[in-house]
Amino acid sequence: MTDAVLLGLGGLIVLVVLIGIRIPIAYAMILVGGVGTMMLNGPALVFSQLKTLAYGQFSIYDLSVVPMFVLMGAIASKTGLSQALFRGANAWLGWLRGGTAMAAIAGCAGFGAVCGSSLATASTMGKVALPELRRYNYSGALATGTLAAGGVLGILIPPSVVLIIYAIIVEANIVTMFMAAFLPGMLAVVLFLLTIAIYVAIWPESGPKGGKADRTEFIEATMGMIPVLIIFGLVIGGIYLGFFNPTPAAAVGVFLVLLFGILQRNLTWSGFVAALKETASTSGMIYLIILGAELLKIFMSRVGLPQEMAAWMAGSGLEPMTVLILLLVALILLGCLMDSLSMILLVIPFFWPVLVDINGGIYQGAEGAGFGMSTEDLKIWFGILALIVVELGLITPPVGMNVFVISSLARDTPMIETFKGVAPFFGAELVRVVLLVSFPALTLWLPHFLS
Amino acid sequence: MVQTEHGGNSGFFGIAGRLITTWALLGGGVLLLVVAVNMASIIGSMFGKPFPGDFELTEMGVAVSVFAFLPYCQLTGANVSADIFTAAASKRVIAFLTLLGSLVALGFASLLIWRMYLGMMDQKEYEYTTTILQIPHWMAFVPILISLALLALAAFVTLSRDLTALSKG
Repeated sequence: MTDAVLLGLGGLIVLVVLIGIRIPIAYAMILVGGVGTMMLNGPALVFSQLKTLAYGQFSIYDLSVVPMFVLMGAIASKTGLSQALFRGANAWLGWLRGGTAMAAIAGCAGFGAVCGSSLATASTMGKVALPELRRYNYSGALATGTLAAGGVLGILIPPSVVLIIYAIIVEANIVTMFMAAFLPGMLAVVLFLLTIAIYVAIWPESGPKGGKADRTEFIEATMGMIPVLIIFGLVIGGIYLGFFNPTPAAAVGVFLVLLFGILQRNLTWSGFVAALKETASTSGMIYLIILGAELLKIFMSRVGLPQEMAAWMAGSGLEPMTVLILLLVALILLGCLMDSLSMILLVIPFFWPVLVDINGGIYQGAEGAGFGMSTEDLKIWFGILALIVVELGLITPPVGMNVFVISSLARDTPMIETFKGVAPFFGAELVRVVLLVSFPALTLWLPHFLS
Repeated sequence: MVQTEHGGNSGFFGIAGRLITTWALLGGGVLLLVVAVNMASIIGSMFGKPFPGDFELTEMGVAVSVFAFLPYCQLTGANVSADIFTAAASKRVIAFLTLLGSLVALGFASLLIWRMYLGMMDQKEYEYTTTILQIPHWMAFVPILISLALLALAAFVTLSRDLTALSKG
């Protein structure tokens, strides 16, 4: 092991300590990356990079879609779009046993289609659906568990901020990643609905039947969902079919959501200002982490740590699938401690070279590859798997953020009940990961078909 | 943990808080302008009149607006940290650790002001412009430097807040 690699390892340890003592993750990365490179190559290099590095990073065109999707989601949550979605879904599903919970899942999926964040989806749909679930005497565990789990759909169904960042790190096409995420997202919805059906079959009293909507309510509620379908169709459909790039598509999304809010007279001035503030905190936080990750990446690639680790893993003689599963388990465990975005930015630069090495290099075709697929396909497949497992941390202890958000909305349900209620959905997610690992076609079919 | 936007009620902190919040909202306004440019570009190309330079306006606009968000993030504690390992620590210890975070932010903001000022001078000297619209890049650095100064201010505000918390115990 060279001195440089040792310095890199030391840097990693310092980074972990800094993160452990509550230094904001972005600043921990900036500190370790900056100081590390200074120790390796002297301060002059870092100083000259800092003249334009931040501006260069913040003006990357592919990233510009992030603040716009954040803005779109923030405005959407102030427009009453979530009410319309839930009402529509409830008219269709509410009469079933557990139907109101199913409607909440469908509502989350619909809201996830205009919003790229789990927390925003959970809290927005939670505010709408929790009172209804309570009205129909749903058990606290099922009601809160459903919404905490449903929030995950916000990130799995495109647009998804984490997926955009992943695509940029591994140099994948964002459009292809969005296509690949669609079927796995739908699979999640189906599995969640099945989970609720099984849950209420075992404990019928936990999810009673709701009222059946009469004809006028049914029609009105269904009509109410049309705007969301139009927005999703234009924005994501437009991206899929190649009408426009993600950034203009996101601009269309912001415009349509604003228009919807104004036409429905739901978007107030203070709501609009709140949406801008939310966009400021979320985007600022994301970009600062991106800057930190870039500084860290410069340091790490100069000491050659990721390459070293990749070579070591590739030479370890482990089966490709074993390595993949190890990496996914590592992501699940880390997800319990850190937020998903920092984790993707921190860990993927280490994990991805390992997989490339095992698969046979960056230009490897399907023939003779370690995973039996080209490296381009592996990039897509692993991205979707990573996206799913990092989000699992949102619904597991100790820092299940979705659970915290829903708990703060449902004060009468103890948090332990929510964790219990979310457990079956966690099981459903594991089933989904197994399905997606066993059948890569679930992920890869749509991008191949559309391109 | 999101704290109140106006760091303390006293005059100076109140004004600083309002200034930083207003600056972030202006940044949001720039982002909305970027949205408008992209809409104009789409509508234009539908009628065969594409909007020249929408790419570079997007790049520049987003960079300017995101820099304007940074002070607000610092002020409101929006920068994520992993709180799990120190969840059981006393208030004093936590105040000390957040103080360290504020110090790093203050140091980094000051360093960037210095370096990016020189960066702006470079851009000016070599007359770097965007490709299509020929907008000089140094122009983007002016609002960015203001954002960085406000980031330093925000870090100073959070630093004093942490110090107060530390002395009260």
